[in-house]
Amino acid sequence: MLESELHDLSDDADYAASQQQGSASVMLRSDSAKQSSPHEQDDAEVLFSKDNVAIHPTQFASERISGRLKLIKQGSSLFMTWVPYKGHSSEANLSEKDRSLYTIRAVPFTDIRSIRRHTPALGWQYIIVVLSSGLAYPPLYFYSGGVKEFLATIKQNILLVRSAEDANVFLVNDFQNTLQRTLSSLELPRAVSVACGPSNLSVDEPNSPSFNDNQERTNSGANNLSASVPQFHGRPKHKVNDPRDISIQVLEKFSLVTRFARETTSQLFGENQNNGFSGYERRTRIQPNLDQPKKSTDIAEKVPAENPVIPDPKPLDKLSLVWGKPRQPPLDSPEWTAFLDSEGRVTDSEALRKRIFYGGLEHNLRKEVWGLILGYYAYDSTYAEREFLMSVKKSEYETIKNQWQSISKAQAKRFTKFRERKGLIEKDVVRTDRSLAFYEGDDNPNITVMRDILLTYSFYNFDLGYCQGMSDLLAPILFVMGDESEAFWCFVALLERLGPNFNRDQNGMHSQLFALSKLVELLDCPLHNYFQQHDCLNYFFCFRWVLIQFKREFEFEKTMRLWEVLWTHYPSEHLHLYVCVAILKQYRNKIMGEGMDFDNLLKFINELSGQIDLDASLRDAEALCICAGENGAACIPPGTPPSMPIDDGSFYNQLEDEIL
Amino acid sequence: MATIGHNNLNAKLVLLGDMGAGKSSLVLRFVKGQFLEFQESTIGAAFFSQTLAVNDATVKFEIWDTAGQERYHSLAPMYYRGAAAAIIVYDITSQDSFTRAKKWVQELQKQGNPNMVMAFAGNKADLEDKRQVTADEARVYAEENGLFFMETSAKTAANVNDIFYEIAKRLPRAQPAQNPAGMVLVDRPAEGSRGAASCCS
Ligand SMILES: Nc1nc2c(ncn2[C@@H]2O[C@H](COP(=O)(O)OP(=O)(O)O)[C@@H](O)[C@H]2O)c(=O)[nH]1
Ligand SMILES: [Mg+2]
Repeated sequence: MLESELHDLSDDADYAASQQQGSASVMLRSDSAKQSSPHEQDDAEVLFSKDNVAIHPTQFASERISGRLKLIKQGSSLFMTWVPYKGHSSEANLSEKDRSLYTIRAVPFTDIRSIRRHTPALGWQYIIVVLSSGLAYPPLYFYSGGVKEFLATIKQNILLVRSAEDANVFLVNDFQNTLQRTLSSLELPRAVSVACGPSNLSVDEPNSPSFNDNQERTNSGANNLSASVPQFHGRPKHKVNDPRDISIQVLEKFSLVTRFARETTSQLFGENQNNGFSGYERRTRIQPNLDQPKKSTDIAEKVPAENPVIPDPKPLDKLSLVWGKPRQPPLDSPEWTAFLDSEGRVTDSEALRKRIFYGGLEHNLRKEVWGLILGYYAYDSTYAEREFLMSVKKSEYETIKNQWQSISKAQAKRFTKFRERKGLIEKDVVRTDRSLAFYEGDDNPNITVMRDILLTYSFYNFDLGYCQGMSDLLAPILFVMGDESEAFWCFVALLERLGPNFNRDQNGMHSQLFALSKLVELLDCPLHNYFQQHDCLNYFFCFRWVLIQFKREFEFEKTMRLWEVLWTHYPSEHLHLYVCVAILKQYRNKIMGEGMDFDNLLKFINELSGQIDLDASLRDAEALCICAGENGAACIPPGTPPSMPIDDGSFYNQLEDEIL
Repeated sequence: MATIGHNNLNAKLVLLGDMGAGKSSLVLRFVKGQFLEFQESTIGAAFFSQTLAVNDATVKFEIWDTAGQERYHSLAPMYYRGAAAAIIVYDITSQDSFTRAKKWVQELQKQGNPNMVMAFAGNKADLEDKRQVTADEARVYAEENGLFFMETSAKTAANVNDIFYEIAKRLPRAQPAQNPAGMVLVDRPAEGSRGAASCCS
């Protein structure tokens, strides 16, 4: 982290070699220069251009988006662009909106903090570009190679150093400047690839089309910011010229839905929407959440005149009425048994997940069902198979546990890493949920069990180790499972999904917070603009929510309810991000009305702990998720935790790579 | 950053130090007068404010409490940039936490605001029988590095208000009005002249 600890790339033989390929990029340069527009400014040169660089917006191969990655030098500044191809037949099902959403429009390297290179055991090399603002672009997969040349070209032009902590991370410019920029760049609107408000600064706008190339112009010569409306059945294609219009289009789609819904529901309830059920219900839901109950009924009037609040484009009242189905009572034993065949297999796991999503589980069922929804047990396993697995896993657990238990005092003296880890864990277990009867009191044996599980985990996954927040994730699991080995393996299953949250380079957190910013941009553009204007786009005020899945925001019982709902991955594996959006939307008027800046926003969000209405938030989140549909899914970069385990085992390769 | 109104000063203060040293407990004691035996760990960061009267002026502290684990180090600069004051906390019963505190001092000396008022707090002073770091050792270090030093106890409240009071007294007074939009603005390279670094100009 300190400058002196950084070493230069030139110590890497690979890089020395790749630098010699610099001449190749010069050729590319003249090549591309020919293609570019006659208006091109004299000093803009393409230093590097690579085709078949793709992003994977979803896990489906058919939805990958290929494009061209370029490094462009203008004056002394270096820029990076990535522009998806248009009209590519194999990707015809992709909307223009998706393309535009992901297009990287000439981001200057002064806005880039670091580039992380990933080399999965299977599959393509890819990079993740992290901006100084803390946001990150989705991973860029190099289908035709070229990561080395890319890095080497950058290095020839600006200061690029390899992180001392992680050889795959390349820091742009020196550490000190990077730190300054971390903060200063938060105010630059172009840090986000899709601007929601006034058009973002970009050297590739129509008035300076210097970086357009053939690919982009083959399609009716429109400039590359153009985007078409998401295609509906049989509607003619229609072009819009401002990226802002994308979200407007999306919102129009929503409002159609809402109007439709309003008509149906007023029939259903036989009353007028405006003074009907939804308005009443919303108030009663919000009321207990605010310090002064009166405020909630009249939020709009309470807002000071100098802070006019732009109305929510999609008030949740209407959405919840349409989409967010009423929560159900928790699944009970008779109903659970009905999901099982005579040998204990879950016959319809989809239906089970759906049922748990809408109501959660009665507490006594959690011990049996959590292992299934976490993926520790297979849905189609029988009672006997689960019993067998349990005993096998128990001895496996003991083996791993024995690895650290057998470290003698003398050995520990010379094993700093072990002592450090043990120290961290011991500091945290004694302050985790101690007010709960299960963990309360001196010499509580459950605290020792918690310590043992965490220490064993740090040997099971030595690379990830222990990180603050993990004890919060374990506490409810141990409470539910009771048994040490069972709790351990469920914790392991959970961390297969959430492990990247704890990565040293924070990439799991970055990708989630980035996705969150995209979702708010899509679902509440005025709020997004507000955050942008108030330097809050890094979404660090939601850090705690995301890192430990709202564990600190709800009382223990509600946390367990929320978790089992999220773990069903129904209707989206990223429902937690929609929960974030839902909560932010519930408080948007307060946030904007009071003109909260980053400090006060973080304080406000931290103090919401214990006040958030879980059922309402879940219902809103479901509504938002369904409404956002594919557009929402496209906001979430691939590999964003929690990654859904894939049966073919490739998931593990990916995870391994993430944790490096 | 620190801002001044009519005898009213706003000062951003950040707490740094090893996890478990007692940062959150010190803030809780100062802001709410409470102490929790099992204060939960800090995830991300927490923000508090508290006003102190110093002579005929008031100082409103805007306090950032951070997560201490090395793993979250990369987030710390976000919170200490532009701070007018810092309390670097270690636990007198842990030599490791003392070592880590010294690293934080170094980092602040390199990266922080050069006029930052830095306090060095040896916390958990009530645990005399488990002491690993002597007050003398810490005092010498603090003097060499231009910090002021106090042993504190969030548990007994010893020296807690005092350390904040000392900081308040040492904050530079005459400061130009600051942009109110938040901590990031001080770091705009083009606007260095408005940053805390130049507050005495
Ligand atoms: N005896 C004693 N314990 C303390 C003191 N300050 C904090 N603690 C305890 O030390 C643990 C860690 O404190 P915390 O404030 O969370 O540390 P942080 O990680 O630096 O924020 C908690 O269990 C506190 O109760 C103190 O002055 N004396
Ligand atoms: Mg703390």
